[in-house]
Amino acid sequence: MGKWFKSGSPWIWMTSGAVSISLIAVLGLLLLIAWRGLSYFWPADIYEWQMKNQQGERYTLIGEVYDKEEVPTERLIAAGHKFDTDVGDSVTRYLVKTGNREFVGLDFRWILATDIISRSQPENIAVIERSKNGDFYGFPIAIIEDGKRLTSQNIEADFESYIERAVALNEQALKLQKGVIGSINYELENLRLKARSYELKGELTESRQAEIDAARAKLNAEYLVVEKEFFALKTEAGRDAVVIRDMRGEEVTLKMDTILDVAYANRLSFIGKVGHWFVGVGKFISDDPREANTEGGVFPAIFGTVFMVMLMAVIVTPFGVIAAIYLHEYAKKGPITKMIRIAVINLAGVPSIVYGVFGLGFFVYMFGGTLDQLFYPEALPAPTFGSPGVIWSALTLAILTLPVVIVSTEEGLSRIPSSVRQGSLALGATKAETLWRIIIPMASPAIMTGLILAVARAAGEVAPLMLVGVVKLAPTLPIDMNFPFVHLERKFMHLGFHIYDVGFQSPNVEAARPLVYATSFLLVSVIVALNLTAIGVRNHLREKYRSLEH
Amino acid sequence: MISIDQSVMKTDMLDLENLTAEQTALEIRNLDLKYGDKQALFDVSMKIPKKKVTAFIGPSGCGKSTLLRCINRMNDLVDNCHIGGEIMLHGQNIYDKRVDVAALRRNVGMVFQRPNPFPKSIYENVVYGLRLQGINNRRELDDAAERSLRGAAIWDEVKDRLHDNAFGLSGGQQQRLVIARAIAIEPEVLLLDEPTSALDPISTLTIEELITDLKSKYTVVIVTHNMQQAARVSDQTAFMYMGELIEYADTNTIFTTPKQKKTEDYITGRYG
Repeated sequence: MGKWFKSGSPWIWMTSGAVSISLIAVLGLLLLIAWRGLSYFWPADIYEWQMKNQQGERYTLIGEVYDKEEVPTERLIAAGHKFDTDVGDSVTRYLVKTGNREFVGLDFRWILATDIISRSQPENIAVIERSKNGDFYGFPIAIIEDGKRLTSQNIEADFESYIERAVALNEQALKLQKGVIGSINYELENLRLKARSYELKGELTESRQAEIDAARAKLNAEYLVVEKEFFALKTEAGRDAVVIRDMRGEEVTLKMDTILDVAYANRLSFIGKVGHWFVGVGKFISDDPREANTEGGVFPAIFGTVFMVMLMAVIVTPFGVIAAIYLHEYAKKGPITKMIRIAVINLAGVPSIVYGVFGLGFFVYMFGGTLDQLFYPEALPAPTFGSPGVIWSALTLAILTLPVVIVSTEEGLSRIPSSVRQGSLALGATKAETLWRIIIPMASPAIMTGLILAVARAAGEVAPLMLVGVVKLAPTLPIDMNFPFVHLERKFMHLGFHIYDVGFQSPNVEAARPLVYATSFLLVSVIVALNLTAIGVRNHLREKYRSLEH
Repeated sequence: MISIDQSVMKTDMLDLENLTAEQTALEIRNLDLKYGDKQALFDVSMKIPKKKVTAFIGPSGCGKSTLLRCINRMNDLVDNCHIGGEIMLHGQNIYDKRVDVAALRRNVGMVFQRPNPFPKSIYENVVYGLRLQGINNRRELDDAAERSLRGAAIWDEVKDRLHDNAFGLSGGQQQRLVIARAIAIEPEVLLLDEPTSALDPISTLTIEELITDLKSKYTVVIVTHNMQQAARVSDQTAFMYMGELIEYADTNTIFTTPKQKKTEDYITGRYG
């Protein structure tokens, strides 16, 4: 035993054990959220249950199984449930998603296995994805085209083509709304601001007023034309409807323009399901959210996260590098420099919400408010930069991550051999030339390391953002087709906040749960993707300046 | 007396005490140097002749490298370094406040103990000093690169891979590249600080041959702890001990008939 201790084996076991545990923890976390998140898009089997309730009445239930648990019989009896026969110590209970929210009140319900009489998987159950009220399960019976009920031989094929038509029309309408109508509104607002700005300066002459009125009239006329086109498209999209028999046995008419897609999950082959899964993931990544973020995609949140992090990187890198260069190259070595360095390192330990408060007080109210008064007085009292926005979020996170960049840049600078500096100086270079031509390029891998750490920290930070720019639902992206194309004052959506919002602020907890996992997985993927890009760049730089390994 | 000496020694032997201004590249006058409280050089005075190879020898820590680094003011980089005395170049004290240090270093090039190429291509290493001077004309740079690389006897080895990273070269090649880099800006004086101490014997030989060639165009000052090397490459040798210049004379004289006891002890291997 003593010999075994002396051999060092226990030490090796202990250290490798620590590594294994860390590895398992990380992989376990990733696997869990990936599995929970990604399985959400897998088309589940749809069952039709024949049920009886406590009064002995029979009813039908259609839906998919979301969850399953064992409940002690005693607890059910205590809750007032009566069993005709002995069912043992525990009873299986299923959580069923029934959809059809507007007809059944709750689209999730628990059923007891003992209440089930029979279960089947009819092939012709349709899962209808809708733009409002969530999914609908039922059997399509007939199409109503322009008010006339059609009796069709091939209802399913017809149904799909009608959906396609409605979806295409809706898309056109949406494009019109976001594109032309959006820019007309933007220009109208600009005209209003222009008029107000003249008014404030006392330069609003008759001719200018007339000019603005003419422009406004022209835009309004344009708007009327487009609006008409828009409503025509909307009406056309809403022309048809479909008749569905739901689980209550009643015929329900659904308007075609509320339907996004239809699938017959029980009939799909494995390949079909895989295809369906990919389509689902694709929609999740590229669509806008619907229904208070519990349905649809998260594209604006992905865009907002990536855009804000990149903006932050653009701000923090030059700042951090310059500060590190001063601290390391120019500042006199002494107690003051030492103290500054310690202060910088300790800044990294300040809780992030404190940065949020600082950002709100300093950037948004003081800085932004001053900007508004100086440059956007015509919009007041409505703030332009004086309210939370993506630029303030990026700046706040830049301050939050500044210590990381400074510390790793300094480390990189101190690793550069003095012989290289002297070599440059001996050739008649000044200190600044040496820094610019030799030292900074050689320190660039370290700078990238700092940036990687900063990005990783910033992309996962949510708390400060809630104060300085993140919102539940941003109507527009920070980049669009209206001049000046990049709108840094706008509010934005963020994946981290989206997780919080969907998980805790959602009216429909059960429906939101898989989305929480899916969004978490997406957030992790986005951070990993950002980091991999940065690591790729760093490795390239390392290869280029590999002298440091000598 | 003088005629006898001339028959024994090289005919181009110089009278180091009384060099004319034309023969002198550098004159060191009463140089004292302190690192903080520790004095490293004591009242060193000597004249270094033009277009000759001058070697500084002496045991470790004797101040020979420190003295060398005074000549292009590399010691300025060291905190707490105080220098007294003068080093005259073209009749001007290089420690004068008005002297542009960068310009001085362009005139007094330096090669260090370990090869220190920049993490750039071979070509960019050589033309670095020229680019610093704002020369960006392709033809001019190409010409200078070839001339310097030929001057450093490395052209044939690298001419086909000028744009490869300089770290791909061997240690000896890197050191010759660094010499090429130093002579690309055409300094008058070239300081070599133990240029072969990190190299293998064959590379050392190549560099030594190169040093002998270099003196046709440049004044070379070399620090070495290898007495054979000093004897092989230098025209005059300075022996230093404990921060003092003990003896400075023609190389042959130093190695055959040293005047000082300490010099004799050192070259006969009694210490160092």
